[in-house]
Amino acid sequence: MRPAASILLLTTLTGFAFGLLAWIGAYATLGLLPAMPLLGVTGVALGLLLASLGLAASMLHLGRMERAWRAFSQWRSSWLSREGVCAILIYPLAILLAVALHVGHGGLAVRLLGAAVVVASLATVLCTAMIYASLKPIRQWHNSHTAPGYLIHAVFSGALLFALLHTVLTGRPGSTDLIAAATAAVALIAKCAYWRHVDAQKPLASLAAAIGLPKDAQVKPLDAPHFTENYVLREMGFAIARRHAGRLRRIALCLAFGLPLGLTLLASLSIAPLAVTAAALACAVIGLLTERWLFFAEATQVAALYYGRRT
Amino acid sequence: MTMLPDPVPGARKLGLVIDLDTCVGCHACAVSCKEWNSGGKLGPLTDYDKQGPEPDGVWLNRVHSYEVGGEGCSRTVNLPRSCLHCEDALCVTVCPTGASYKRAEDGIVLIDPEICIGCKLCSWACPYGAREFDEEEGVMRKCTLCVDRIYDRTLPEAEREPACVAACPTRARHFGDLADPESQVSRLVAARGGRNLLEDLGYRPTNKYLPARQATIPVAPREAASGADEGFGSALLRLLDRALSR
Repeated sequence: MRPAASILLLTTLTGFAFGLLAWIGAYATLGLLPAMPLLGVTGVALGLLLASLGLAASMLHLGRMERAWRAFSQWRSSWLSREGVCAILIYPLAILLAVALHVGHGGLAVRLLGAAVVVASLATVLCTAMIYASLKPIRQWHNSHTAPGYLIHAVFSGALLFALLHTVLTGRPGSTDLIAAATAAVALIAKCAYWRHVDAQKPLASLAAAIGLPKDAQVKPLDAPHFTENYVLREMGFAIARRHAGRLRRIALCLAFGLPLGLTLLASLSIAPLAVTAAALACAVIGLLTERWLFFAEATQVAALYYGRRT
Repeated sequence: MTMLPDPVPGARKLGLVIDLDTCVGCHACAVSCKEWNSGGKLGPLTDYDKQGPEPDGVWLNRVHSYEVGGEGCSRTVNLPRSCLHCEDALCVTVCPTGASYKRAEDGIVLIDPEICIGCKLCSWACPYGAREFDEEEGVMRKCTLCVDRIYDRTLPEAEREPACVAACPTRARHFGDLADPESQVSRLVAARGGRNLLEDLGYRPTNKYLPARQATIPVAPREAASGADEGFGSALLRLLDRALSR
């Protein structure tokens, strides 16, 4: 599948944004935030800003941007529509939470709003993941790893952003750095498990089945319908050399999870916490964008079979 | 609404039956489809770089040719590929806007170009590669089963069929109601063992493909004179062969 910049930005930025909002909501629910209202309010503002940037990037993917509002209508069947509805629901909830934190109404209001923000944030990430996981012709997406993977990545990237925000605002590391390190470790394991899974998968179908012959019939393409690339090939016939994929996977693992894991551990030991947490975040941004690029580039769609391409 | 319609008792299932035994891969169906849909009510069907080195454009029907069979005599199978108007059409349910829909009354899958936002998700959901994005209009395109022909009462009744079917010079394309077991297309499917493409993916396509008949062309064994390596005559021939090969 063609990795479109707009979608890479959308999924990565909203991962950071909704991950951060989920952590703020969780801290608020657990009663850990009223002591530091500035952290909560700034976090909500940053989360909503990043989410807005991501959603704006996704608009660039549309052929008819001015009709984007129509995408809220089909939540009964479409995960893309559900994603839109959930993402919009977060705004009032998160703003109310920030107001409650600012005004200092601790207690029940903050706890309830915090819990609502957690649920809405994770639900949005889940909807994003399900857009991909529900696509039957793409074996690298239509599996049980996709949804947990997206959730784990969001929880990890949000934790990292939360840790940096905490260090910037309080001047010292907190539990947030350890949480970021722990989620980095989980995300690293989940990504490795995902790659193991997709590497062991068999193609969904054979060319013979694609043209209605018994599965084991010998078939090879003779003439393509057209000489140049068309939409189907550009969008769904995107292929990446295995050698490059291997190298990029190692880069993604190191930058997205490995280095942030080590750096946040250093920060939690109070070794230049601000600098190392900032470095961890910078690595994670590049690493997660690489990881997301691979998620698309390595995905194959059954329709490419008709052109004799690998799926 | 992008929910799939509830089954209506007695509803028709309009679709195509394509005979791979008689399709000669002439692309007349594809060209006729392009022509009709460029100029018809649902046009235009955009082309890019028409006279340039990389011509490209939106087509709703594409004809592939494959070589089938390895042992002895292989054969060419031509496969026209267009929307199969599936019963479990994932392209419909993933649509966030309701632009992509399946009609309850005849099962035709359509896109409303006035509502489509061009998110391209439906094309990702289709394993048949039947949907093509129109970069200029910013919306997705697909086969309409010539819904603007088959119901057009101003046309003579014999012409109320999809443009691809009308154009086929070998009558390899048949149009009809696949819900009616007595229709001509259903009888063809029953008689010839009509098949689904990518059966295992479970989209339950309406369109069916009639397999090429198992033609075996007897290949005579290579001629070998009996006792070729024996006797004076063959020794003489070998000598002659060697002399001439020099």
